[in-house]
Amino acid sequence: MSHNQSSHSHITHKALDLDKINVILATDCGSTTTKAILIEKIDGHYRQTHRGEAPTTVEKPVADVTVGVTNAVTEVGELAGRKFVDDNGEIIRPANGNVGCDIYISTSSAGGGLQMLVAGVVKEMSAASATRAALGAGAIVMETLSSNDKRKPYEQIQRIRELRPDMILLAGGTDGGTKKHVVGLAEIIAPAKPLPRFGSEYRMPVIYAGNKEAAELVQDVFKDEVELKIVENVRPVMESEYLSPARDSIHDLFLEHVMAHAPGYDKLISWADAPIMPTPGAVGDILKMIADRDQINAVGVDIGGATTDVFSVFDGVFNRTVSANLGMSYSISNVCTEATMAKVLRWVHFDMDERELRNRVKNKMIRPTTIPQTREALVFEQAVSREALRLAYQQHKEFATTLKGVQQQRTVGDVFSQQTGGNTIVNNMTLNLLVASGGVLSHAPNMNQTSMMLIDAFEPEGFTTLAKDSIFMMPHLGVLASVHPQAALEVFEKDCLIYLGTCVAVKGLTKLGEVAMRYTVRGKGLDLNGSMNGGELKLIPLWEGETATVLVEPTGRLDVGAGPGRPLEKEVRGGTTGLIFDARSRPLLLPDDRLQGQKMIKQWVETMELYPN
Amino acid sequence: MKQTMKTLVGSRWTWMMLCVVMAWNAVTVSAAPPAPPSDIQVKDYPLDDGTAVKVIFKRSPDDTGAEETNFTGYSIRTSSEVNGFFKEALEVKKAADATEAAEVVDARVTGLKEGEPVFVRVYAVGADDETSTPIQTAESITPVMAWFDFHQIRLLILVIVICSAVILFIELARRGYPMTVRKVAGLEAIDEAVGRATEMGKKNLFIPGVQDINDIQTVAGINILARISRTVADFDSEIEVPTCRSLVMTAASETIEGAFLAAGRPDAFDPKSIYYVTDEQFGYVAYVTGWMVREKPAACFYFGAFFAESLILAETGNSVGAIQIAGTAQPSQLPFFVAACDYTLIGEEMFAASAYLSGAPEELGSLKGQDMGKVVAAACILFGCFLAFISPDLMKLIFEETAL
Repeated sequence: MSHNQSSHSHITHKALDLDKINVILATDCGSTTTKAILIEKIDGHYRQTHRGEAPTTVEKPVADVTVGVTNAVTEVGELAGRKFVDDNGEIIRPANGNVGCDIYISTSSAGGGLQMLVAGVVKEMSAASATRAALGAGAIVMETLSSNDKRKPYEQIQRIRELRPDMILLAGGTDGGTKKHVVGLAEIIAPAKPLPRFGSEYRMPVIYAGNKEAAELVQDVFKDEVELKIVENVRPVMESEYLSPARDSIHDLFLEHVMAHAPGYDKLISWADAPIMPTPGAVGDILKMIADRDQINAVGVDIGGATTDVFSVFDGVFNRTVSANLGMSYSISNVCTEATMAKVLRWVHFDMDERELRNRVKNKMIRPTTIPQTREALVFEQAVSREALRLAYQQHKEFATTLKGVQQQRTVGDVFSQQTGGNTIVNNMTLNLLVASGGVLSHAPNMNQTSMMLIDAFEPEGFTTLAKDSIFMMPHLGVLASVHPQAALEVFEKDCLIYLGTCVAVKGLTKLGEVAMRYTVRGKGLDLNGSMNGGELKLIPLWEGETATVLVEPTGRLDVGAGPGRPLEKEVRGGTTGLIFDARSRPLLLPDDRLQGQKMIKQWVETMELYPN
Repeated sequence: MKQTMKTLVGSRWTWMMLCVVMAWNAVTVSAAPPAPPSDIQVKDYPLDDGTAVKVIFKRSPDDTGAEETNFTGYSIRTSSEVNGFFKEALEVKKAADATEAAEVVDARVTGLKEGEPVFVRVYAVGADDETSTPIQTAESITPVMAWFDFHQIRLLILVIVICSAVILFIELARRGYPMTVRKVAGLEAIDEAVGRATEMGKKNLFIPGVQDINDIQTVAGINILARISRTVADFDSEIEVPTCRSLVMTAASETIEGAFLAAGRPDAFDPKSIYYVTDEQFGYVAYVTGWMVREKPAACFYFGAFFAESLILAETGNSVGAIQIAGTAQPSQLPFFVAACDYTLIGEEMFAASAYLSGAPEELGSLKGQDMGKVVAAACILFGCFLAFISPDLMKLIFEETAL
């Protein structure tokens, strides 16, 4: 089990009086666009009111991130009828009438975000803990070195020299544990002399989060060649990990070294009232906060052009993975290769020429900003997204595991049911909230399409609420949560999430034509009951803001959360899609025969009204 | 004299005595021995293991197949000498009906010694175990072992089925047919255990049981030691192997050296870490547990034949906080290992470890083929139970009369 992972940077926030905060301006500097949102206190409640967007200006010729920020903020100001930027191009604070804002906060993933190299003794143990710390802080892990990665030292050194990470996290050994392996890793990193990505004149930031008894030896190895920061061990004992000190240090160094050397970031840091966070780190923070507050298990996904981020909180343990090669534009070709075209096409309910599709994939790769112009193109893109999401979630399940190397306690009764450590903690049956974000999900022309992409890819079981991030506001709210949690939670509830509805699905293999479950739905103006056969979907209108009480009785060994064959009653939430009953098998099985598969998908498409004429 | 005769004839007692004598005579006349059988022929039984002869003879005229008769059957007796003591070797029942009575008797006499001449006599047996005069061949017969014992054909069938399955699965595995082996948690956890020792900077302990190298469990344990050593070498960790037998020490030493060599780390091999302690079971255990308490290994592996020491070792390992993986084919020790260790390999799993760990198609195919043999054996047992339950006669017919 992990220790408390709440991340609070050691770089202190500026002193703020929370009661006097009425106007909040937040930006997220992405790789291509900088998004600004305005949050205002209206009738005692915080609401997101306006939004603006402008191209990011980190790259040449502008090479100053604040120009893009100013442009986005200006657009928000024009929409809101407020003046945010003064004549010197700086953000006006505090708010006074129609001028300025009370606080300004920002996240950043510009220039590829925070890219890290991670090293640990055993790949599945301390190196995995270090990777979790880095990913949780919002980094992209470029490479993981370990003593057992079967590479020779010269190969490891060569690999380090090939990479240009923003910083390095070195971990390994329990406190009082191995020293030789940790020092050995330091002796590989030190002579490799890794060069930082930004700023040739500053030293590479290295965080040491390993065996505390080896810290001095590691310091001796690195001498003054790197900017070494020693924090508490990510794995002080084998039985638990302690990630927050390492995560906080990553945030600090991200600001002190990486951001400070990126074009224009020194100015942006001085503007911000709270430390600038890596975008995925902020998204993770808000998801964790919501899950902790409501005592629920949640999964969030952000599918982008090049990467897909999956965040999960199960039983209070937060995990994040970045699937670097799964995306909808730059990485679309890789999705088709990894999933195979046959698997992509199984989601398409009409005939498609595979050759034409391959051309379409390559075109999307070289022209990443294009969007589908025809219905066929849209169906195909959503089919690809299902596979990208499925693969990303699969990778996430493999990464989000219990700790390895922990002593087990057995009884004689365990003789035939022994299980190894490192089992996934992701359990779809206990998943309560599934949040989607990213172009293909957020900008789908029909919300039912978003719901079905989520259900087909993630295969939720039991009762799961589906939602989407309306305008990709979660990064802004993540960083706001570190300054003003109440404002962040209010906006998250009221403006950030668009509820799609609730999916009620049976776990187990259902048989076509045989009753899989019986249901009763009671709510305002609703009094329905019926049964569903295996392989069927049913959509029941239950609009946003409405709730209903649903009783489901699964048949045979099928399960909806109360155990095989046991009925379960729950209150469900409506949304733009409604209440979805899913009696398809888990895992979801589609016929191998293309024609049969098309027929089945067509039936689902019609039931869910996915592509109405 | 005349007076005397008159007295006797006239006496009531005299008449009664006379009746008794006449009745006695009548009884003795009806219990006369049955007529003997005839035309005896004795031959060596073909296609057997040389312990049986075939005896053919014509039935006794009293063997008519009638139910109400004093005739009960035949007694076939054997002796190594022509006039020696003939011991009964087989009883043959009388004919059940007239049809059977018309046939000759063809009996198989077993229990003889291969290559030793034997004389055979056949008696017809009456109701009061009265026997007829015997019939006997003039010459002795010597049972001879044939090149193929037809009565063991069931074994041949089983061998063919199992061998065919093994060959078939090996061939399939070579051609890329996926061979799925059930996940054995204990073997999967080897990396985890060695990893724990590496992170904690502690040693790994391997105990190859307390039996010598001629014990198949010790051999299986050494086989697994090869894999553990390879992992230890890959992780740059350390392993300690105290042994209870000197030959096991030699085998373990060579195995570990080979594993370190294969991992490309021959320099890391420390021959001093593999050593002989004592043949004394509890002397050895006292040393090992003492070492465990002092050194606190982070991973303990017990693979081999264990007896009373199993719980002592496993409990000590548990108390020092080690991940423990055990494997033995001693059923009496399994509960102790299961309760005190993190993972336990049960009997067969330990022997299958080599195939499981290597993943070589030949070994996986062989494992699958052997499993098929076990499935066939289990199916035969179930079939036999079913037959015995529904029709014992049918079972007898199948398994006794048809040489199966």
